[in-house]
Amino acid sequence: MILADAVNTTVIAKGLMIGGGFIGPGIGIGLVGGNYLQAAGRNPSASKFLLGQALIFVAIVELFGLLAFASVFIFAK
Amino acid sequence: MIANVLSLVADSGPTVHIAPGAVWQLGGLTITNSILYGWICIVAIGAFLIWVAHQVTIKPKGGVVQYVEVAVSFITDLVEGAFDDEKIGRKYVPYFVTLFFFILLNNWLGLLPIVGEGFKAGSLPLLRPFTGDLDGTLALGLVTMLLVYVASVRESGGPVHYIKHFFVGNPLNPIFLLVGILEMLTDLTRVISLSLRLFLNVTIGEILIAVFSYLGHIAAPLTALPFTLLEVAVDALQAYIFTILAVMYLAVAVNGANDHSDDLTEDTLPETIEVTHGEAISG
Repeated sequence: MILADAVNTTVIAKGLMIGGGFIGPGIGIGLVGGNYLQAAGRNPSASKFLLGQALIFVAIVELFGLLAFASVFIFAK
Repeated sequence: MIANVLSLVADSGPTVHIAPGAVWQLGGLTITNSILYGWICIVAIGAFLIWVAHQVTIKPKGGVVQYVEVAVSFITDLVEGAFDDEKIGRKYVPYFVTLFFFILLNNWLGLLPIVGEGFKAGSLPLLRPFTGDLDGTLALGLVTMLLVYVASVRESGGPVHYIKHFFVGNPLNPIFLLVGILEMLTDLTRVISLSLRLFLNVTIGEILIAVFSYLGHIAAPLTALPFTLLEVAVDALQAYIFTILAVMYLAVAVNGANDHSDDLTEDTLPETIEVTHGEAISG
């Protein structure tokens, strides 16, 4: 019995990609945010300068989350 | 009864187009709806920025000109601050300012209702954002990285010198050869990551707005409003990030070629080694 005949494996694949793919960027953005807050707590006058850089790193990490989301549209039925 | 009313206004699902659709054929080439939108944006941004440049006076007056001046000076400071030598930075400022405004205008105008499902000929939307198309962002990424590579090869003084910067140690040693080749491949993935980041952010934003305006059937403007505002912020951020990453790649390539301060020679050895060595011999 071939699994792909009995079960719709595409849907399972999409679910696995979405579920597993958003763990990483979530942790990454949380780390960037936490370090930004810690640095701003040490040196409040640098907080505006650091905010721009922190958002840049958020966008770099976000790329991997978006790649996981885009795989939903790439997998054929 | 509510179900009957809802069935009048609801589609069967949110309609999203990811791939561009062909609008007309010109010779052997296909003009797609995103190329058409790109041309409209080029004309719009050219006319707007040239008009702003004529309005600039020594004493600042109010209005739109002020905001454009703030944005231009922001990007100019960014570009000039990234290079060690400011004169080199000043050469590249016009390209990056144009790139920033082009991406910003493309992203923001893509949120208008005309672009997308509202303005259709048959079943095909006539306008799609240029940056919401993988071909468009790949073109932007390739042109930008071409600039970076040509500039870095020229500043290093030839292609052989440029490739030599990737290799640490003797390239005949197989480990160093592999590391050097891997470093070059990592360089090439920068094109893909730059273009994919922009494309995915814009397209997924549009999909989110489409899904949420489908979910609120009659109250679609209300449910889609927070996501539209989010997309305004995200699109501006993505334009800024594309520009700043391109500036950084160029600055790393140009700066790193000119100073060899991390080469280890006799006079860059730390002083403590010399001092203890001398004292041990004389004592």
